[in-house]
Amino acid sequence: MGEEINRWTAAGRKAAAVGKIAFRHQLAYKTDFAMRCFFLLFILFVFIQLWSTAYGGNFETVISGFTLKQIVWYLVFTEALTLAAPPLCARIEEEVKNGDVAIRLIRPQSYVGYHFSVFASEALTRFLVHLLVGSAITWPFVGPPAFGYGWFGLLALSAGALTITFLLLAIVGLCAFWVEETSGLYFVLQKLQFTIGGMLLPIDLMPEWLQRVCAWLPFQAALYFPARMAVHYDAALLAKHLAVQAAWIAVLAFAVGRIYRRGATKLHVNGG
Amino acid sequence: MLTAVNRIGANARYVWTCWKVNLASAMEYRLSFLLLAGMMFVNNFIWLFFWSLFFGRFPIVQGWELHDVMLLWAISAGGFGWAAMLFGNFPRIASIVATGQLDVYLSQPRPVLLSVLVSRCSVTAAGDFAFGVAVYLMVGDTSLTGALLFVLGLLISGLLFIAVMVIAGCSAFFIGNAEGMTQQLFNSFIALTTYPSDIFRGLAKLAIFTIVPAGFISYLPIGLLKSPEPGFAILATFVAFGLTLAGSLLFRLGLRKYASGNTIAMRS
Repeated sequence: MGEEINRWTAAGRKAAAVGKIAFRHQLAYKTDFAMRCFFLLFILFVFIQLWSTAYGGNFETVISGFTLKQIVWYLVFTEALTLAAPPLCARIEEEVKNGDVAIRLIRPQSYVGYHFSVFASEALTRFLVHLLVGSAITWPFVGPPAFGYGWFGLLALSAGALTITFLLLAIVGLCAFWVEETSGLYFVLQKLQFTIGGMLLPIDLMPEWLQRVCAWLPFQAALYFPARMAVHYDAALLAKHLAVQAAWIAVLAFAVGRIYRRGATKLHVNGG
Repeated sequence: MLTAVNRIGANARYVWTCWKVNLASAMEYRLSFLLLAGMMFVNNFIWLFFWSLFFGRFPIVQGWELHDVMLLWAISAGGFGWAAMLFGNFPRIASIVATGQLDVYLSQPRPVLLSVLVSRCSVTAAGDFAFGVAVYLMVGDTSLTGALLFVLGLLISGLLFIAVMVIAGCSAFFIGNAEGMTQQLFNSFIALTTYPSDIFRGLAKLAIFTIVPAGFISYLPIGLLKSPEPGFAILATFVAFGLTLAGSLLFRLGLRKYASGNTIAMRS
């Protein structure tokens, strides 16, 4: 029992150290950060134009429970979460192609655990910066984000949301152990997140039948849950959403573990 | 005169050979090719799915309907598709210049920009092109006039993609490492060509018809296909060809400033 605890403590320390290095690594590439922020500003500007036109510029109109202000802020939150995710699939694919995976596999840290540490560190930093940058452009157009406890709901659900995003990306990325090229699969996953994940359109605005389909998929737990909770806080629903996220994390983590173990036995690497 | 004709003929044969080699190279990994192109095809359809949901809620937005946005995607993806299949290096000029990879093209007895552009074929772009044609066949006007207008739309769209990225890529000659900036411009330009031009107003609208001329692509479904406006069609054609010419002149100008270490190497 004591040994088991020591093992977990050591794993935690290693994960924290990797996360710290990943955080410092990001600070070293400020231009890259600025470029990504530029794209966020740009795409939010396009969304503001699109939705303002759709609502006819009317701030009072309510469509499926969303005013123009709520929908634009909802998009800020989904975009901040989406752009927070580092390119995990491309990284795994590159490691498999150039043989670096051989070095990762012999390190005294779980391969998936290593990538999760890097992902968590980068994603959390980016998410917070994106929230600030997104607010800077949205505030002047639609007003302040006065959502009260909504902010608490957003933050409470964002950790689970990013973990689910990591696991979905890991499933696609680990396919590189079989097919090497995963960009096509990644594009499809990304677009599923954009649409039935609720990134571009709140699920409430979708047809009834599609809402029922979305309820059985993990994508809404990664984007829709935190963003909707931010603009429509509901304590009872928050507990339910946290439970749904926990269930998806368990299912997807199991799938990632299985795929990784099977993939690692198939992998042949020269050099690295 | 005869020499000029000979030179054009030789260049045409060179381009044709490059395209054949690129195709053969892509076909070497047939499964991968089909998978990538197929995924891009699906990827674009998912975008149309989003738009169908959007227009399900808001049937008409500034005069645009789902049908118009589908044709917008057909023109944008189709135009990008042919451009990236035949001149696949156009989004990578800045990177090629900044990393000294231009050396290898300078040693070839062919126009440098042409050599750079035709030496790569984007595999995923085949899916974009197929998607564009498929959507046009689904919702477009398939009469002879309709087909000719659609082909003109594809030509304008593809040329604008190439021209804008060549001009942006040339910035690497003057400011050095411009990869990040051109990549962002590329992403933004593509995004702008897939949203109805009429959602923008004021300065934003002015910008998409001047600084970042994506409006000449995103207005094509209305100004060229739905209710053809000769003035817009002529202007868009003129802008597409004019910017292509400007891009090649700027590249030639930039070449005079080009310097690198010796990075001549075999390309695999």
